[in-house]
Amino acid sequence: MSTGSGTSMDAPAFISSMDAGRVLARRERRFASALLAPAFAALLATTTFPLLYLIWTSTFRIDLAMPFTNGFIGIDNYRDLLADSRFWSSLSVSMIYTISTVVLQVAIGLGLALFVMGMKKGQGLFRLIAILPVVLSPAVVGMVWRTFMLQPEFGIVDFLSINAGLGSQNWLGDPTLAMISVIVIHTWQWTPFAFMVLLASLAALPDDIYEAARIDRASAWQRFRRITLPLLRPAIVMVVIMRTMVALTAFAAIFTVTGGGPGTATEILNLYAYRKSFTELSIGYGSALAVALLVVTIIISAALFAVRRAK
Amino acid sequence: MTAKRLRIAAVIAISLIFILAWMFPILWSFLNSLKTDKDVLAYPPKVLFTPTLEAYRDVLFGSASILPNLVSSFIISIGTTVITMLLAVPAAYALARLRFPGKRFAGFYVLATQMLPPVGIIIPYFLVLRGIGWIDTYQGIILIYLSFSLPFAIWLLVSYFEDIPFEMEEAAYLDGASRLRTLWRIIIPQVRGGISVTVVFVFLNAWNEFLFAVVLSGNTVRPVTVAMYNFISVEQTLWTKLAAVSVLAMLPVILLGIFAQKHIVKGLTVGAVKGGGRR
Repeated sequence: MSTGSGTSMDAPAFISSMDAGRVLARRERRFASALLAPAFAALLATTTFPLLYLIWTSTFRIDLAMPFTNGFIGIDNYRDLLADSRFWSSLSVSMIYTISTVVLQVAIGLGLALFVMGMKKGQGLFRLIAILPVVLSPAVVGMVWRTFMLQPEFGIVDFLSINAGLGSQNWLGDPTLAMISVIVIHTWQWTPFAFMVLLASLAALPDDIYEAARIDRASAWQRFRRITLPLLRPAIVMVVIMRTMVALTAFAAIFTVTGGGPGTATEILNLYAYRKSFTELSIGYGSALAVALLVVTIIISAALFAVRRAK
Repeated sequence: MTAKRLRIAAVIAISLIFILAWMFPILWSFLNSLKTDKDVLAYPPKVLFTPTLEAYRDVLFGSASILPNLVSSFIISIGTTVITMLLAVPAAYALARLRFPGKRFAGFYVLATQMLPPVGIIIPYFLVLRGIGWIDTYQGIILIYLSFSLPFAIWLLVSYFEDIPFEMEEAAYLDGASRLRTLWRIIIPQVRGGISVTVVFVFLNAWNEFLFAVVLSGNTVRPVTVAMYNFISVEQTLWTKLAAVSVLAMLPVILLGIFAQKHIVKGLTVGAVKGGGRR
């Protein structure tokens, strides 16, 4: 009735009658609303309101370069979008970028977590180093990679490539290499995240199950396949969900490195919506692209949550 | 015996590769920031050289100083942190400890707001802020930063509020203390640790933000993540200065990250446990 189930039972003297209980419950409700109101007002203003306004602007032609053409056009932006090859290309770039970065992060992160778990010394060093990439701004990471790592005839990656006999490459100028580069950069920055989460879950697994398996003479692979993997499944799915959402809306890590180029080779849907709105100043169509991104995000996360619930 | 030694060597080799791979870009930026313009362009790249602080002197006190941008970054990050905490602490307490109708929905709403792609927030907000003349202002940037800092802070704080035992509050109520007084005197001190962790992460996220900053910044308000661009252009890149700015932009978050080391996993996965999550 009031603060917690404990109160009414432990303190009968405090709440002597039903009336007093009701008064307390009402006070608690009022207190809760007073505490929540400011934060929820701010959330409504900064998230719900822009969402509604975004859907509204997506039904307009809003061209900041040619304001005289502006006006309500209904679903025309969406009709254009379905016929826009750059939209479909950006969607497929999004999918390639998201799937490859998430798979790489989880695979390398899990492998490394298992590896480090077996180490007697040096776990602390790994934990410390793993923090460095994830706390950095993707904008700074992108800038550092673009210059000191990938710049032809200057960056370390190019230096290694030359010495390995592969020659100097235009890492960010060639469409395929540029795509690989932005995937590697994202993977570099966020594998430590998967690593840290999975290492923490591994460390929390009970030891006795392994003892039993060892007595049963289960091989290392069997132990991994039959015990570790099923127990880690919730953590892996969680990492996949979180990293997918981030990869779909990655911005700085691509914008600062290639700007979406060469051409549209690394232009994910998120970046296309940005470029359309703020480079080409076609805000109405950009809004429709952002709505499309939201729809894609919702579909993918619904699918992933279904996987998470499934046993 | 040799097989065991071989295994140890392999473990050390693999460890070194990963540790080096993660440290290298950061370490290399740092080394380059200490070079002269001549050393930085040397081929093969120089690992040993006479270090100089010239690049730092130039980017901090030279003609194109980024000191104002660092100040901008600090004002934005501190402003965002203060306002976020003032709003999030009471809300998180209510969500974690109080009973009221619609509580589940309120919690779900906070999570669901994180689904919205940032680009979908900045497009309409650009129009709104342009309309009221808030582009290139601190209030404009800080306001929109609440869209990601607030849900994050609320969920992280809820997890800390949930950890304190109910008995503490009950004892206070029995003594006749008011709810607000109890919250302020009894509860808040209990979650001091959780509040400082939240402060660290909110500051860190605000410092690192880029998309909103690149759209909303101008000549008055331009955080360091955006201002870095001045050092790179088609004709010429100022390598040592770019390296120095990168290091200056990385330094505060690396220090905070190491300070909050034990809480990093919790900070990064907050909300996800309950069902959502991003970033």
